[in-house]
Amino acid sequence: MLTIKNLHASIGGKEILKGIDLSIPAGQVHAIMGPNGSGKSTLSYILSDRAGYDVTEGSVTFKGRDLLSLNTEERAAAGVFLAMQYPVEIPGVSNMVFLKTALNAIRASRGQSPLDAMQTLKLLRGKASAIGLSEDMLKRAVNVGFSGGEKKRNEILQMAVLEPSLCILDETDSGLDIDALKIVADGVNALRSPERSMLVITHYQRLLDYIKPDAVHVLAYGKIRRSGGAELAHELEEKGYTDFVNEAA
Amino acid sequence: MTLAAFITRSRREQEDWKYTDLEALLASTNKTFNLDTGFRRYDEDGDNRAYLLFLNGVWQSARSRFGSVPSCILMGDLESGYQLTLGEQTCLVAQPIEMVFETDSNAPAEIALKLSIDIGKNGRLTLLENHLPSNTITTIETDITLQSRAKFVHGKILASGTHLALHEVRVASGGYYNNFSLLRGGHPARNEINVTLEGEEAQAALNGIMLLRGSDHADTTTRITHQAPNCASRQVYKTVLDGKARGVFQGKITVAPHAQKSDGYQMSRALLLSDQAEMDARPELEIYADDVKCSHGSAIGALDEDAMFYLRARGLNETQARALLIESFVAETLDNVQVEAWRDIFRREIGEWAQ
Ligand SMILES: Nc1ncnc2c1ncn2[C@@H]1O[C@H](COP(=O)(O)OP(=O)(O)O)[C@@H](O)[C@H]1O
Ligand SMILES: [Mg+2]
Repeated sequence: MLTIKNLHASIGGKEILKGIDLSIPAGQVHAIMGPNGSGKSTLSYILSDRAGYDVTEGSVTFKGRDLLSLNTEERAAAGVFLAMQYPVEIPGVSNMVFLKTALNAIRASRGQSPLDAMQTLKLLRGKASAIGLSEDMLKRAVNVGFSGGEKKRNEILQMAVLEPSLCILDETDSGLDIDALKIVADGVNALRSPERSMLVITHYQRLLDYIKPDAVHVLAYGKIRRSGGAELAHELEEKGYTDFVNEAA
Repeated sequence: MTLAAFITRSRREQEDWKYTDLEALLASTNKTFNLDTGFRRYDEDGDNRAYLLFLNGVWQSARSRFGSVPSCILMGDLESGYQLTLGEQTCLVAQPIEMVFETDSNAPAEIALKLSIDIGKNGRLTLLENHLPSNTITTIETDITLQSRAKFVHGKILASGTHLALHEVRVASGGYYNNFSLLRGGHPARNEINVTLEGEEAQAALNGIMLLRGSDHADTTTRITHQAPNCASRQVYKTVLDGKARGVFQGKITVAPHAQKSDGYQMSRALLLSDQAEMDARPELEIYADDVKCSHGSAIGALDEDAMFYLRARGLNETQARALLIESFVAETLDNVQVEAWRDIFRREIGEWAQ
């Protein structure tokens, strides 16, 4: 599904990613863990072509295509979805209108006809209630006045509605209490399928108790320092990231 | 007021026309507009809107639709001016009236309209001026008088073209004047609204959106005078500029010496989509009373990059993402539109412009 080779990337000329190699087969969930500032969000932005984040070397192949040749919306259309660490507030635009516009944009790129207002409403209601978001949250402006947990749930709702084939979750667990974490994890687990891959970025092992990864990678100082199975997350929980910090230094 | 009279004014009051050099702008205008996109579109909706149709400045009674509005509502002619008079206690709120100004190939180069609107005690009027695209230079002078406790909700859509409007509004005690203007262009457009709050507890709310691109030039100039105690005025204007467009907002609030407890608020915000566009905002306060609450502000900004990325990461292309952020930018002002049916019209106009 996704193959990253020797990926180097910089922000404003400063190298942040220093040669990432990572491969996620279809149907698998991989976790990336690492200390703050190690480049986790940078990797997610590079995969979504955010302005200001430049690839200087390496390649990314997604479903056999050169991902780096596509712009942000083309990647979304191709099936890449990034649940953001800091979802943006958009006053004056209802969540419903936002979701409908996004859904129909993605549908158009797949050659599907747009859903009308009633069909959209029905679909959104169903998906929203599954993730524990009230209908009221669909009517409110995008993320405006949402609690941290509601914002993250709203990201998962968008993911459920757009049905991407690669889900990148950037610290979706941060700022969530245990109940919200379970709801988010349930939402994510419900989307697991043989055709869908996930890249779960997290600082803490806690989320991985609920979303069982097939592999765990440790990112520190711009490189993947170690890879292993789910048990690696527990080891990190006990020892912290100090070993990797020393290793890089 | 004719075009010539406007030009004379602009020469005389140079400070007020500092950002809108009328003669230079008129000399450089050579754009022609497609006249065949306009009102009919709304007409097809099967709604029951009452409208008064003006063709080349001349009222077409036979082509108007009155609904529950009495057909004698409008008097006069192009030459002497039109009068709309509403008697005491008369209420025309349930049936908002639309004035549609259309021109065709027989239109003269210039049309000078004069309109006077008088609303009696406790009268209620809801009126939308709909100025369709036109290649004729239109000037329109509107005198509005609100007797005590009268209420007037006044909307305006200007499609494009050369349009100079001057409103003189007088509001008696307890009266309420509400204006919402959507300017979708201008070569140039100048929308001047002067409101005098003459009686105690009179109120005015002026809101507007200017959507400008290409070589558009639109100017909103407001002057609100608080002449009696306990009056309130609220103004929120939003301007979206693309291409080489130029937007102007000048707003002056004057509080007379005896107008204690005056409450005035004024805000102008502009969204620049291109670095060649320009916005000039000039807020002014002139306060001669000591117990007043007045504030004003203006801000100019660009599209939020984080929001653009967020929307594009959800599959919206740049045009769609921008349109949604424009909708977001003007939403606060649209919320102030009092007639729900108008809000839909304005939203549609804005959506079309943004595509
Ligand atoms: N806009 C930016 N300009 C300059 N440096 C940045 C910018 N964004 C992030 N960085 C730097 O890039 C590094 C990686 O940041 P980030 O990818 O956000 O880390 P993580 O998500 O792992 O906490 C950090 O050193 C951070 O300071
Ligand atoms: Mg991060």
